[in-house]
Amino acid sequence: MEPFKTHRGKVAVLDWTDVNTDLIIPARYLKRVERVGYGPLLFADKRYVPGGAPEADDPDKHGPEAPDFPLNRPAAKGATVLVVRKNFGCGSSREHAVWAVAQAGFRAVIAPVKGEGFADIFEGNAYGNGLLPLELPEGEWEAIAEAGRSEQGAEVTIDLEALKLTLHSSSGEKTFAIEVPEAQRHRLLNGLDAIAETLLDEPAISAHEAKAPAWITPQPA
Amino acid sequence: MPETLFQKVWNRHVVKATDEATLLYIDLHLIHEVTSPQAFDGLRLARRKVRRPDLTIATVDHNVPTENQLDIREPMSRRQVETLRDNCKEFGLTLFDVHGGRQGIVHVIGPELGLTLPGTTIVCGDSHTSTHGAFGALAFGIGTSEVEHVLATQTLWQGRRPTSFGIEVRGKLAPGLEPKDIILAIIRQIGTGGATGTVVEYYGPAIEALSMEGRLTICNMSIEAGARAGLIAPDDTTIQYIATGNRPFAPQGAALEMAIADWRTLKTDDPSAFDRHVVLEADKIAPQVTWGTNPAMTVDVTGRVPEPDKVPFASSEDARRALDYMGLTPGTPITEIPVDVVFIGSCTNGRIEDLRTAAKVLRGRKVAESVRALIVPGSEQVRHQAEAEGLDAVFREAGAEWRESGCSMCLAMNPDKLTPKQRSASTSNRNFEGRQGPGGRTHLVSPAMAAAAAVAGHFVDVRPMLAQGN
Ligand code: SF4
Repeated sequence: MEPFKTHRGKVAVLDWTDVNTDLIIPARYLKRVERVGYGPLLFADKRYVPGGAPEADDPDKHGPEAPDFPLNRPAAKGATVLVVRKNFGCGSSREHAVWAVAQAGFRAVIAPVKGEGFADIFEGNAYGNGLLPLELPEGEWEAIAEAGRSEQGAEVTIDLEALKLTLHSSSGEKTFAIEVPEAQRHRLLNGLDAIAETLLDEPAISAHEAKAPAWITPQPA
Repeated sequence: MPETLFQKVWNRHVVKATDEATLLYIDLHLIHEVTSPQAFDGLRLARRKVRRPDLTIATVDHNVPTENQLDIREPMSRRQVETLRDNCKEFGLTLFDVHGGRQGIVHVIGPELGLTLPGTTIVCGDSHTSTHGAFGALAFGIGTSEVEHVLATQTLWQGRRPTSFGIEVRGKLAPGLEPKDIILAIIRQIGTGGATGTVVEYYGPAIEALSMEGRLTICNMSIEAGARAGLIAPDDTTIQYIATGNRPFAPQGAALEMAIADWRTLKTDDPSAFDRHVVLEADKIAPQVTWGTNPAMTVDVTGRVPEPDKVPFASSEDARRALDYMGLTPGTPITEIPVDVVFIGSCTNGRIEDLRTAAKVLRGRKVAESVRALIVPGSEQVRHQAEAEGLDAVFREAGAEWRESGCSMCLAMNPDKLTPKQRSASTSNRNFEGRQGPGGRTHLVSPAMAAAAAVAGHFVDVRPMLAQGN
């Protein structure tokens, strides 16, 4: 996993509440065998013109973007920070939802109110895939969302080492404190996924292998 | 302190233990086409390798057609199979592909190839990995992200150690009865959640008397009682199986001698070491037939479809829903239920002994005109063995279809499916709604009982048929 230390990027604001995983990625795309290629499938039934959603077997083949979908606004083009409302990612447990958000280029999702921003499973899956789910107090969230909705849009810098978020907008800069559970912060800072963490125990794994009896390894005759 | 077999196998695989979790070393990782593609993609994304390609063995089974294995018409199925081929090539893994002579259902080929060994840990992205416990291995199913973790690290994090559950089967099975009847009787007695959170060990005279094929059938369905895994202690039968036959991966010579000395120590010191314990009398078991939509909804073939308020482990509402789905009326004798399709195969009952039993019933008899009977060997090896023994001719003469190997109608991912409301007598392991095709109605039975139903056109007690011969 790519480490997350500081990140500066444009925000895209999706002003909807209770966005469920079926909206994030419709069920028909779960038959795919890949773990990549989910980026174009994010909000597949909303972000393209009617009838323009991608084919399951060829996500890159899709119709033109729907101009009225918030993520398609010119100011949100190339955004890497998604600003959403409460209870984002509710519904099924599909990890595909997080794959879609992350592979569409987002590194963080910002929702209002501690403990209410994200559905539990989505939040867990997000950390597991190096996508930072941030919950901010209502007022601070609104400041970011408002700047993001403006004509010129806005950027934020998330400093995970200093636990600070800075909003850069036409009306200047504002800095807020952020909270991230320590274990998750440690993983993100060091780019550790579950596998990378286990690999820190490499010496113990090798030691186990060294003392395994010879007969235990399959011997193709 | 006396230890169980399970504890012994677990302890020797602990790489690291913290308060909440244990890192277990995995000796053998089996792979099939359905649950592995995203795991390989994960490796590619992180630029990782498979840590131990020599401990990772793949085959294709779920999507493979059994009429002509080479002709996969469904594009999504074909892609899953081709993806596994590509992944095995890219990561340097051994793949037992169709028409290679050793392809088959992943849980059938492991033992056949000499990969499944006592005292080892075995995982696969498949819940019926419990099958391999028949050799005294700790074998269990895992999810796709765990598949990736094992590919990359050859280890797996486990939460708290499961408790141990001893199931003692005393006495002796009567003629015409099969291992399938034992395991169905066990699940019927303890319920589909009866072994949740435990690792089961089967033991006692009726278990010791079984061949490896029979033991595999029993451990296979441990998961249907909710167990994490099921085990049987290795003994002379186990060692004999590994040391003989065409098992290219099994240890040989001095390595085998060393292994055998170790395997002799693999047993539960004393039944008092089990956290829980139940006893069954094999002599009292009659041929079992499931009537409902989970494997605990089982009665004797001499019994009747139960009243909904007299179903153990199910509310009368659940039981009524099951009766309704199955299209059955309470009080109907089991032997009056007609069948449309007979399926003999799967990782539960697709081994050579199962086919020999089915052939014994079908020899000189005819499949009823109203019945379609599919006989699907669990592996290419089983298929060749059966043909060498002339069993295929017996099946064909009886009017049954002799197919190529794969999971087939066990889960209907390939073209072998029930149509809505079609009723099957099936030797597989799950009678869940829609398991064999949307709307299909599954009754689980032994291979002998399935063959008997094929002849009669309805469920029938196979015992007199076997006694009277042909
Ligand atoms: S035969 Fe059935 S239970 Fe066994 S591996 Fe195949 S699908 Fe799963």
